[in-house]
Order: sequence, then structure tokens, then C-alpha cells
Amino acid sequence: MDDVHTDGNAIAGLLSQLLAVDATSIARRCQSCGDERPIADHRAYHGAGIVLRCPSCSDVALVIGIGAADVTVELRGTFQVAVGP
Amino acid sequence: MVWRTATVAQVIEESPSARTLVLDVPEWPGHRAGQHVDVRLTAEDGYQAERSYSIASAPESSTLQLTVEVIADGEVSPYLGQEVRAGDRLEVRGPIGGHFSWTVSDGGPLLLVGGGSGLVPLMSMLRHRASQASEVEARLLVSARSQDDLLYRAELGELDPAAGLAVFQTYTRTAPPGWSGWQRRVDASMLAEVDPGPGAHCFVCGPTPFVEGVTHLLVAAGHENHRIHAERFGPTGG
Repeated sequence: MDDVHTDGNAIAGLLSQLLAVDATSIARRCQSCGDERPIADHRAYHGAGIVLRCPSCSDVALVIGIGAADVTVELRGTFQVAVGP
Repeated sequence: MVWRTATVAQVIEESPSARTLVLDVPEWPGHRAGQHVDVRLTAEDGYQAERSYSIASAPESSTLQLTVEVIADGEVSPYLGQEVRAGDRLEVRGPIGGHFSWTVSDGGPLLLVGGGSGLVPLMSMLRHRASQASEVEARLLVSARSQDDLLYRAELGELDPAAGLAVFQTYTRTAPPGWSGWQRRVDASMLAEVDPGPGAHCFVCGPTPFVEGVTHLLVAAGHENHRIHAERFGPTGG
């Protein structure tokens, strides 16, 4: 895998198409190492799609597939989503 | 989040490779300092390209300002950074990203570290701080290749040091004549001089290797992960 990456901030616009809340502040607990970090801190690898990885252990957090007709997102681990008042 | 049509009101030359686009965006919902937008360009044949750009202007500004650095061989930035003229239209979506953002009510002290055009969202924070006449302690460390490459140079020089703000520069390639300051990449001893200490809200923005290096130094200096906010610019096609 290409070692050049960005981070969760870079995919927030894309995720705004799917989520009603700001993706960068969502806390994700990694099912592999147990660390809880905001999506913004995760590493984003850009290719045909985008793979987001845990900043602590590099386990896959989220896979985005960008097709001609739609965008698909596969999530792994637990994501704590809170909605304000 | 909807795409809005923005009209370029003005273009400001910032450096040999960067320009600020001053945009009028009808029904812009407002932003927090540090946030970014996605810009979408559509070619005549329908081909679309999207890129993310940090917002340079303060939330208090009546216009939305983006500073775009031209990436050689890029697909979008050469157009935005060299060809766009006042009156042209662009599509923008945002504001995006609440994690890398700051408002005066979040308090301080602030430690802002920017590499190259990573200064852009940090400048929005400092402009916001100035607009609110905030005296929250703030330290800015900017790493630029040369003085010509330093964005907002005149404005940075005018920011009031008496109001709790200190600005530090390091030039990594060419220093101006007579420069007695830093001429190297950001390292631990440099950060130690700038650092307001544990408890600071740290914001680091720049190219990925720069951000990786600085965030590791901050952790090593005792800053906690949850206070370190980072944003990486990668080579995603420019």
C-alpha cells in the first residue's frame, strides 16, 4: 500500500453525503487495538476508493468505494455518534 | 450538505505559487475557524473534480476566502491558482470538519504549527481571535521554504504581540538577508521554545510528513493526543 496518506478530515465532505453529523469529531473505538480516536485522527489512504485506518494499529476502520453511480461505505469497529440539542 | 455556487469577487496574490480567492457565497451558513470546504469544478464535457481547501477568512468576514497553493501537475489547483478571474463561478460545499476548528470560547493557550500552506486554517483562527479582540495566549510557528513563500507575511507582521500573541518563523530553504532566526525544519528544541506548555490546544497543519513529524514531537513533549488536532495535506492530485 502506498505510504502517502492524508487523514479523516480529507473525507469529511464525502461522508457528509451519508451522515447528518460532522464525521471528523466522531469517536471510533478500534476493534483490534481498543484505542478510541476521532475520525479526524485516522489515516486516509487514497486509491480507487479510500481506506481509513486506525492511527494506533493501522487496522482498517472504514472503506469507501466510489462508483459511477454511488458511494458505498463499510464501517468496522464502534462509532460513537452524538447529536447536539 | 448542499453544493452552493460561489462567485469570485477578488483574487489576491499571496506568494509566487499561492493566491487567495475571495468568494461571495449566497446563503453561506457560516463556519468555525479551521474548517475547510470542498470545491467542485465541472469541465465542459461533464467531467468533475473535487478538492478540499481550508478557509482562510475569519467567521466574522463577509466573504469566504480560500488560499490555494498551486501543486505542479495538479488537476485543480493550477486552474484555481493561476487562471480563475473575478466574476468566475465555482461550486463549494461546506463548512466541513469540526474537529480541526477553534473558537475563542474554547480558550487557550493555543499552539499553532503550520508548514507551507498549512498556515491557511491557522490564519483563520488568528483572524477570528483578532476580530473578537481575544487575548487568549497564542503561539504560531510557521515553517516556510523562504520569505517569498510565507503567506500573509505583511499581516503576520502587523498582528499585535502585546495581545498575547507570538509569531515564530523558520525558513527551510532560503533565509532573507540578515536573518538571524531559525533556518531548519521544525525540531524538538524549536518547539520547546514556542510551546506554551501542557494543556495547550495544539493545531498542526501541513503536508503529511510535516504533520507526522510535528505531532510525534508534541506527544514526546508531553502533549496529550486529544489536545493535538492535525490536518494533513496529501498529494491527492492537487
